[in-house]
Amino acid sequence: MAAALAVFVVYTAVAGAGTPQISPSTLASHTGDVLLVGAVVGPVAGDAHSAPMRFALKDVSGHDPARVRVAYRGSVPDLFKVGRHIVVEGTMRNGVFVAKPGSLVTKCPSKYAPAKSKQT
Amino acid sequence: MAALGRAALLLALGLVGYALFAGSYAAWKRRRRLALSAQNALLAAFPAVVVAAIVLWVALARRDMTFEYVAAHTSHSLPLGYALSAFWGGQEGSLLLWLLILSGYAALAVWLNRRSRELLTWVVPVLALVAGFFVFMLCFVSSPFATAPAPADGAGMVASLQNPYMLAHPPLLYLGYVGLSIPYAFAMGALLSRRTDERWIVLTRRWTLAAWTFLGVGQLLGAHWAYVEIGWGGYYAWDPVENAALMPWLAATAFLHSVMIQEKRGMLKVWNMVLVALAFCLSIFGTFLTRSGVVNSIHSFSQSPLGGWFLGFIALMTVFSVGLIYLRLPLLRARTKLESLVSREATFLYNNLLLVALCLTILWGVVYPLLTEALRGETRSVSKPYYDFFLHAFGLPLLLLMGLGPLVAWRRASLRSLGKTFLVPLAAAVVTGAVLLGLGYGSSWPGLLAYTFSAFVVASIVLEFVRGTAARRSIAGEGRLRALAMLVARNRRRYGGYLVHAAIVMLAIGVAGSSAYQTVREQALKPGQAMAVDGYTLRYEGLRTTQSANAQTTRARVEVWRGTSHVATLDPGKSQFPVEGDVGNDVSIYHDPRTVGDLFTIADQIVPKTNVVYLKVLVKPLVNLIWLAGFLFVGGSLVAMWPDAVEQRRLAERYEPGAATAGA
Repeated sequence: MAAALAVFVVYTAVAGAGTPQISPSTLASHTGDVLLVGAVVGPVAGDAHSAPMRFALKDVSGHDPARVRVAYRGSVPDLFKVGRHIVVEGTMRNGVFVAKPGSLVTKCPSKYAPAKSKQT
Repeated sequence: MAALGRAALLLALGLVGYALFAGSYAAWKRRRRLALSAQNALLAAFPAVVVAAIVLWVALARRDMTFEYVAAHTSHSLPLGYALSAFWGGQEGSLLLWLLILSGYAALAVWLNRRSRELLTWVVPVLALVAGFFVFMLCFVSSPFATAPAPADGAGMVASLQNPYMLAHPPLLYLGYVGLSIPYAFAMGALLSRRTDERWIVLTRRWTLAAWTFLGVGQLLGAHWAYVEIGWGGYYAWDPVENAALMPWLAATAFLHSVMIQEKRGMLKVWNMVLVALAFCLSIFGTFLTRSGVVNSIHSFSQSPLGGWFLGFIALMTVFSVGLIYLRLPLLRARTKLESLVSREATFLYNNLLLVALCLTILWGVVYPLLTEALRGETRSVSKPYYDFFLHAFGLPLLLLMGLGPLVAWRRASLRSLGKTFLVPLAAAVVTGAVLLGLGYGSSWPGLLAYTFSAFVVASIVLEFVRGTAARRSIAGEGRLRALAMLVARNRRRYGGYLVHAAIVMLAIGVAGSSAYQTVREQALKPGQAMAVDGYTLRYEGLRTTQSANAQTTRARVEVWRGTSHVATLDPGKSQFPVEGDVGNDVSIYHDPRTVGDLFTIADQIVPKTNVVYLKVLVKPLVNLIWLAGFLFVGGSLVAMWPDAVEQRRLAERYEPGAATAGA
């Protein structure tokens, strides 16, 4: 058990403690690699396969006016559309959040729960 | 209708409540007749819950939209099979399924063990406590029988759930989750009644094994579902909802192994109690994770009424279990001690520590975002690298132990005999590793290690079968096949266990092959254009759109060649579900019989105007071994579970000397 615990402690010490999840309104204070969680704001421009697809993200909850511009390449999930909550990994560069290719994931409340966003 | 459902649940609440309070009182004061009546109340709760379940199923079948639950999870155009499966498509129905299975299991377990009265008097109230929580939730917090004026049509079912797996995966998982309550209840019953011998383990061995098998198969089905339906080319993503089922399975795996030590050597009594409580609490935690929405954020506590209740119940059960084990520590002293670090017992111990370590690191990964959010106000999460690291760090040694353990002697093994026993497996592993390294498999060292260790385990298992068969042949003079059959039949637990080990090795090889050595290519194709991936050539021919009852489907036709021979026609595409406002990914897979691997195609994006398709192609070697392992896993478990008259008689003599002679 002690050995297992040691492996665990060494790993967390070396690899750091996870990637922070940040909402668009609090992104300004972070420079490194983060997971940006937000709701998609249009217009969505460009094709993610040939050139970067561009869109903006705002906070999922609350009415914070902060918007973050995102540039993304790679697979776009089927459920991606304006208003959908997404998570995308990347870093801020010159005022644009440059996403890691293929890191975009749409968020569902749970595997089984039906989309509530439709009714509201 | 809804009123009947509510009434049935209230009746069940009354019965379960009676079983809990009267049962506890009877067990405490040793009132035999009252205990019997509490037991009967628990039995009677099952039909009451069945009535409630039937009401919900009928409402789903009739698409009775006055039921809020029906309106939220089905629509008039949804096929009947999926409408019925919506029973477990939502929160309230899932809770009812939990209760249905629990009350059924409880009734069966109590009835089958009605002779073991002393133990049972405390098992009944423990089971009633667990059932009571669920029936209380269903009556007052999250009722599937809430009604409202019927909307014109229901909200329908999420596209990715509309898959035949929806009929099998959730119920199997629940059969597993809930099944773990039975050994837990017997363990706590044993502590409460101070009957802390091995009896509770013997009585619940098959329950644990069955629950564990259900949980394992349920997860494999879920993985296959994700593989063919979600359409990203993988089968396991370390999603909290997936981990929710893996954690109790790992704890139960550890438990299944360590109880053998208690049965054989009277050791690890406390540890077994801890493991059974851990497995049970994790199964409740798993239900809570999948149902409360807490996975995303602790703030969803306030959105779902379920979260606080569940957390409270988990806390209560944890405190109850830990407290009870602590109070009974004096009764749980080991009969013997570990004699050597090189012995069968010791390898079991290492196996246990690794399994629990893996389980706890996964748990840490799951709760880490919640903890950081609560403590620092900023959510931090761990992802695939974290889990992969610990899967390699703890999983690979576990794989190796699977080959080592069964060959090491009980009590203490001499290094000399070990050398002799391990010569063949070691040679097999070294040769396999060297050959694969020469073939260029060194590109992934976890993959190479997994293959090498697997060779070691396979060789040791085959050796065991060969040795056992040879021994029988020389003693009993039987033919080869008959000797093998008799060997397995006479030692079902042992050889069933080996078959399960073989299944786990297959799984490990499949996972290693398909994750460490896969190839991924993505390309935009116009009709008539082709792309080449890893020896395959894929030519895109054109698009075709079809309309079904509740979906519109567009598929790309892709012809596949391997070398110069045409091997398959694939049709990856996308489906639009207008009622649900949803899109589904329809992947198309060619199973290559030559490599046991898959050619997995995804129409990542379809541009109808120009007919261009962004085709994503994954070549996944050996991936089908994962699914084939499932069959071997079930087969091995069945062998180990199969009733064994000789063993029954032996156990009966050991624990009920009077009963055995009376029966004979």
